[in-house]
Amino acid sequence: MSSDHSAHSHDTHASAPSWEGGSEPFKASYGKLMMWYFLLSDAFTFSAFLVAYGTLRFSMPTWPVPDFVFSTLPFGIHHQPLIFVTIMTFVLIMSSVTMVRAVQEGHRENKKGVVYWMFLTIIGGLMFLGCQAWEWTTLIKGESMSITKNPFGTHTENGVYLEGDGHDIKEGDRFEAGQSYLIHYHDGHYQPLKMKTDAGEIKVQQMGPKAFGALFFFITGFHGFHVFSGVVFLLIIMLNVASGIYSKRKNGYEMVEKIGLYWHFVDLVWVFVFLVFYLL
Amino acid sequence: MGHLSYEEGKKVVFKGLIILGIVTLVEVFVALLGKGYIIDGFHLPVWLMYMLMISMSLYKAYFIVYEFMHMKYEVPGLVKSVLLPTLLLTWMLIAFFSEASTWRKWRAQVNDKPIAAFSAPAAETHHDTEHKDGSPSEVEGHAAPVDSMAALPDTTHAPVKDEPKPEKHH
Amino acid sequence: MSANHHTHIETDIHIEKQGFDDHFHEHHEGDKFQTNFIFKYIFSMDHKMIARQFLITGMLWAIIGAAMSIIFRLQLGFPNESMAWLKPILGKWITINEAGIGSLDPEFYYGLVTMHGTIIVFFVLTAGLSGTFSNLLIPLQLGARDMASPFLNMLSYWFFFLSGAVLLYSLFLSTGPFSGGWTAYPPLSALPQASSGSGAGMTLWLVSLALFVVSVLLGGMNYITTVLNLRTKGMSLWRMPLTVWAFLVTAILALLSFPVLFSGFLLLIFDRSLGTSFYVSDIFINGMALDRIGGSPILYQHIFWFLGHPEVYIIILPAMGLVSEVLSVHARKPIFGYRAMVYSILAIAFLSFIVWAHHMFMSGVNPFISNFFVVFTLIIAVPSAVKVFNWISTLYGGNIRLNTPMLFCIGFVSMFISGGLTGIFLGNSAIDIQQHDTYFVVAHFHIVMGVAAFFGMFAGIYHWFPKMFGRFMNETLGKVHFWITMVGAYAVFGPMHFLGMAGVPRRYYRFDSFEAFQGFDDMNKFITVAAIITFFAQIMFVVNFFWSMYKGRKMTTQNPWGANTLEWTTPIEAGHGNWPGKIPSVQRWAYDYGKDGIEFTQQHVPLREGEEHSSH
Ligand code: HEM
Ligand SMILES: [Cu+2]
Repeated sequence: MSSDHSAHSHDTHASAPSWEGGSEPFKASYGKLMMWYFLLSDAFTFSAFLVAYGTLRFSMPTWPVPDFVFSTLPFGIHHQPLIFVTIMTFVLIMSSVTMVRAVQEGHRENKKGVVYWMFLTIIGGLMFLGCQAWEWTTLIKGESMSITKNPFGTHTENGVYLEGDGHDIKEGDRFEAGQSYLIHYHDGHYQPLKMKTDAGEIKVQQMGPKAFGALFFFITGFHGFHVFSGVVFLLIIMLNVASGIYSKRKNGYEMVEKIGLYWHFVDLVWVFVFLVFYLL
Repeated sequence: MGHLSYEEGKKVVFKGLIILGIVTLVEVFVALLGKGYIIDGFHLPVWLMYMLMISMSLYKAYFIVYEFMHMKYEVPGLVKSVLLPTLLLTWMLIAFFSEASTWRKWRAQVNDKPIAAFSAPAAETHHDTEHKDGSPSEVEGHAAPVDSMAALPDTTHAPVKDEPKPEKHH
Repeated sequence: MSANHHTHIETDIHIEKQGFDDHFHEHHEGDKFQTNFIFKYIFSMDHKMIARQFLITGMLWAIIGAAMSIIFRLQLGFPNESMAWLKPILGKWITINEAGIGSLDPEFYYGLVTMHGTIIVFFVLTAGLSGTFSNLLIPLQLGARDMASPFLNMLSYWFFFLSGAVLLYSLFLSTGPFSGGWTAYPPLSALPQASSGSGAGMTLWLVSLALFVVSVLLGGMNYITTVLNLRTKGMSLWRMPLTVWAFLVTAILALLSFPVLFSGFLLLIFDRSLGTSFYVSDIFINGMALDRIGGSPILYQHIFWFLGHPEVYIIILPAMGLVSEVLSVHARKPIFGYRAMVYSILAIAFLSFIVWAHHMFMSGVNPFISNFFVVFTLIIAVPSAVKVFNWISTLYGGNIRLNTPMLFCIGFVSMFISGGLTGIFLGNSAIDIQQHDTYFVVAHFHIVMGVAAFFGMFAGIYHWFPKMFGRFMNETLGKVHFWITMVGAYAVFGPMHFLGMAGVPRRYYRFDSFEAFQGFDDMNKFITVAAIITFFAQIMFVVNFFWSMYKGRKMTTQNPWGANTLEWTTPIEAGHGNWPGKIPSVQRWAYDYGKDGIEFTQQHVPLREGEEHSSH
């Protein structure tokens, strides 16, 4: 992009009203504007995904409860709903903040400052990706969820679990309608438990809606891909900053500002991914 | 750009960090409180939880766009040209979600009447005839599109499964 | 046109006096980016060259797409005739029986219909139309040196080229191209085993269209930014020619709707390749139940049409813009209701985002929500009618030059009216129950979108050909082209209304096994013959085009049509940067025709003594 040799029609007559032509009515360079419009279109891409998610979710009779699904932490900690994802969210917010600092240092034409804060931003991005990798691994390896199989089901009635083999059935823990369960996976098979509803029926646990796993991996993956490409761009631009080519342009490190917009957008998308996948 | 002095700008940044952090914590707190994790047996009404969490997320989005992305300091034309188009999504949301709730109701109806070849055993399906009578009116009664959102959490239809299961509603 | 020579000299004086110097030529000595063949003609970053690339690529695709339609029209008109003579081109898709009768493979018939739709809608009428004229006219008419980002502009063309290459390749697959219709509804598109074209053919179709979306987005971002940021001095929004307004709004539509399609396609790719179930549920193939539950094919339809309906306006709006401009120039009258034209473009653009489900009334959309879509859809008729009224009023009392561009403009208005009227029928969900998926719909959208958009494009090509190639197209051939096309198009699509009303479904391979449709054999023959004649008229146009590029009458004055817009102030052979010296500055709106008894006054000419701005 830096090779653009576009013809700017810079405002030589500052007094002319901005919409009269011959000036930039939005007081923004073409590069920044294009970044904004790119982000607008990307916002529609993400919106379409999230709308598709909502549509499939609302078309299902039940949906796994997020605070049951996302309740594992590293070091073998379980049943701590939403803690891990909150940490992830913080990491991303932090990296947004360091990005703002980098842009601010850019406006001051402070090369060292820009590199320093950009470096921290990259670290933040990598940490987020690391967290996501861990979360995915847990779901895939630990809980055997995949894009086609979703072992997170939901009870639709009250009842009790049944334990033991065919001869000697005992009644175990109680459950209530609306509670989620995870069907465990051993020896290459899902092992649904038997249960007895209060109405007296004997049933086995059913797998949850397939779309849950697919949508989760797909949308968080698409977001993660944005984070990843953001990290790559940040890295390239940081190296360029360090090499001094932007300081020659004397435009307040506009390139840093543009990648900054992108980075905040990634954070913005996460606000909604966090909302619909983890909170609601 | 440059509408704030460097020092002021720095302050905004750290204010932003704190605001976003706190709002996120409150969101998580509401989610956990509302679902009974914090006080045993205490639940918030679902619509209230949703309202709270959605508005807090919108606030976070506003803050990121306006402060971090500097929208606050851009000229109004730029702001409008980027933000107004997103309003087109409202009708999209209403229409898609209204469709979704229709599909859910129709699916439930279909699952009440399994087709012989690939249905659950007949004995089980006889089970809830009294519901079958109720469901058509449920479809007709489908009125405001938005009700799908509110209706979702307390439905207790059985999941649609490889083999249709008898189910009990409400 | 005695005034022309005179204007020629004046032009330079005005630019010298009022224009402003952006020191462009000091920064870009000569043209360092266009020093050799490759950078001048292939990886060019000059918007004028990119426009020509879009146009010629689009024309090649148009020929391919139209030729396909002739083949399947032959099948529909003459289902019992031998197609053995096509064997050398179509190879194994023609099977010859013992009697020596060759028949078209039904699967390939569907492939042809699908490819025809995809090619014409996306490659010809989106890239070939908006790509060509946005590139050519936005910088020229706004007084800009080039697009905001010439580099991304170049990429936009090359993504389009790649996308075409991928689709072309899919035609030669042994399993055939995708054959489930240009809308690519699941399950045919979601399950590779669903039909032979659903495998590799569909995969390539998706790759091709994904590349196409990238091309459109790169172009769109550029067009919007250029219009907003690079207008020359004095070119306020309300002085922009209607062409540029149309291109701006088209780009906005594209920027907002194509990403949604892109998302929809990604979900589809997942369904196909990774076994997810976003769009499929409870599905059986060869009597076997698939382990796919919970999705909905209707979800795909919603996502597709959320793009699809804006897409039809992405196609027609540039044509409307071109027609508004050309009509006014050749009627020697200001466009009637300039502001109303702009507001109706904006209204149409807004409405086009909230009506998409009128394509799905019969797909099982909740009738309750359908009502809203009916109402929104019917409201579109209002701004559409405003535009039609204004075009006709512009013609009324004009000093009309009935040359080829003008004829095509009038043809456009005629087509738009005829096709728009049938839209109102279809927009009523109750009537659509009968008409949906019949030839009535085919007639509707071919007239209102297909033919009308082609007419706008032809008007634009005949009108701006001198600007692009420094020569004129042959006028006699042009007129013959117009009349054959005009009569031919109505002859092809008019009878289809009757077929549709009788319930003849679209996308059928043959009808002779249905007793109800037997009576239409002659009508189908008639349509096919008319289509073949019309097709040859287009070939004549192509010949005229390339012949005129080298042999056409030379353009000797800068402003041969006596038009007001800035593109006619550039030298006949404009280099990169468009104006050799200063950029003209704009003093008035684009439609001062016949004002104060003066035939036309170009936009960069200052107000005369005592003259006031035209109120508009
Ligand atoms: C008054 C304005 C219009 C109305 C009310 C209208 C309404 C409709 C409706 C209801 C359908 C769906 C018919 C069916 O499948 O059963 C339809 C199809 C279509 N319309 Fe229009 N339309 C209008 C103008 C236009 C314009 C201006 C264009 C393009 C420039 C257009 C392009 C199409 C296309 C491409 C299809 C068919 C797509 C397909 O199924 O393959 N329409 N129209
Ligand atoms: Cu439509």
